[in-house]
Amino acid sequence: MKLLIVDDEPLARERLQLLCQEINPGFELLQAENGLQAIEQVNNSEPDVVLMDIRMPGMGGLEAAQHLMTLTKPPAIIFTTAYDEYALQAFEAQAVDYLLKPIRKEKLIQALEKGSRLNKLQLEHIGQQNTEAPHRTHISAQVGGSILLIPISDILCFLADQKYITVKYFKDKQLVETIIEDTLKSLEGEFEGKFLRIHRNALIRKKHIEALQKLADGRTVLKLKHLDEGLEVSRRHLSIVRKLMKQQIPH
Amino acid sequence: MVFSVVVISELLAFILTLAPMRLEYQRWNDLALISLFIQWNGLVGSVTLCALRPFLTRYSNQFAAIVSFLVLLLSITFISELTFSVLHYYLLTDMISAVTHWEFLLHNLLIGGIIGALALRYFYIQHQWRVKMESETCTKLQLLQARIRPHFLFNSMNTIASLTRTQPEVAERITEDLAELFRMLFKSDHEMIPWSSELHLCQRYIEIEKQRLGDRLQISWQVKSVPADALVPALLLQPLLENAIFHGIEPEINGGEIKVTGQFRNKQLILTVQNSHSQNIVHRQGNKMALENIRERLKTHYDGLARLACHEENDWYNVKLTIPYIKKESIKKDSSKTV
Repeated sequence: MKLLIVDDEPLARERLQLLCQEINPGFELLQAENGLQAIEQVNNSEPDVVLMDIRMPGMGGLEAAQHLMTLTKPPAIIFTTAYDEYALQAFEAQAVDYLLKPIRKEKLIQALEKGSRLNKLQLEHIGQQNTEAPHRTHISAQVGGSILLIPISDILCFLADQKYITVKYFKDKQLVETIIEDTLKSLEGEFEGKFLRIHRNALIRKKHIEALQKLADGRTVLKLKHLDEGLEVSRRHLSIVRKLMKQQIPH
Repeated sequence: MVFSVVVISELLAFILTLAPMRLEYQRWNDLALISLFIQWNGLVGSVTLCALRPFLTRYSNQFAAIVSFLVLLLSITFISELTFSVLHYYLLTDMISAVTHWEFLLHNLLIGGIIGALALRYFYIQHQWRVKMESETCTKLQLLQARIRPHFLFNSMNTIASLTRTQPEVAERITEDLAELFRMLFKSDHEMIPWSSELHLCQRYIEIEKQRLGDRLQISWQVKSVPADALVPALLLQPLLENAIFHGIEPEINGGEIKVTGQFRNKQLILTVQNSHSQNIVHRQGNKMALENIRERLKTHYDGLARLACHEENDWYNVKLTIPYIKKESIKKDSSKTV
């Protein structure tokens, strides 16, 4: 069995490593220091179980788990924490496995044997309780069996097609796009402060608004910086776009 | 509450019966009638107020008190009128023959108004007392939590568990550090200790956190100019360091830096804790409890002569404590005077 230990504290990782070795010297053990590294490790080495700390810099354990769940075959995730009142309440409510630090060997054995799988719904509920990190730092997509992470700060817009959401973002200063599984409605709610809905099929980054144009056929389109094509603004959203542009002028 | 109303009403009935100098045999009769009348007033008044409770709780205490009082007067008017008409109807007018209709009403309203106001005041004070008791218990718990985050305790335990296997000597030292810190935490809130002891405790705290955070925690101390004998409230500085770690070090992948400086100027100690604070990460929501708690403690210890100020500047978060310099001896002198 392949185990990934994720914790930002070196001593916490060391102890878990020792415990796992004692439980079964045959375990293959990997380590990561935060959520970002954890996803990289999962992409590279596909562990069976991830022991995931909750509070970590860069990307916390709950968000990392959310991204891992986009995989068709996600690893089993067991959360570890020293003290997180709110997370623990949510874990209890959603019957999610967790271990309290300092972790007892017997509890770890039990959890590993159980190897219970998380589901997306459970994570969503837990995420809602997480007042410390109310939204994700990255968006994820599954590309060829591994997770592609897109930092929120690099995203220009989300566009809805018949079935899919396309996200346009900057990668090495080039505008690229990829398909993700979220819905515009949930993205709109999650990133309310930075993004604005301008149409049933478009959610755009507020900072990149450039100009409004009225077309000959009466439709209005919004020009974004770095994007050649204009995006249609629905009548329902037009007044909000205008209001926002007025506010942005003084800057 | 109903019991209190009944008792108050009955006492009033006794007073009213005893007050006029009359013949002995009439008194029992009077007491019965007066009791009946007053109990009716008291109970109807309380029932009405209870029914109005959902409405009254929405408003301020002051408004609720005025409305309650008017409601009481209204219910007294109602019952007096009712009593008067009943007596009139059964032609039992001899019972109140001495007074006219208006006199009867006015008397009742005056007496009822005074007693009602007293009763309301009594219930209000009782209510205040209960609220205060509840909040005091709650505050004590919050105080303890504000002084040390539960996280810290459990993380330290985990650190010790890990070190016990690999570096037993370090584990031993950290356990001693932890014991020293908690010994001070469980002491009274009002204890003043010399600066040298406070500094020692803070350094023990940092030692523990350094084991946990490794190189991510960088700290520098420039506190030599603070007189070692200056008295400060115990564990005044430690929560500021804890805050700096919580907001400045833990959320950063590469950690950060904390600078502690102490100056001694114009008979004042100026202690500052600064932590690096990068702009491009999502910052943790603190509960501001630590700072509030320190402000409270400064108020009780220094009576407005100490200050706590925070500001953010160029990627640094600064907290500045200014407290008057009190020497060990001067405290002793003061206390001997009062003795």
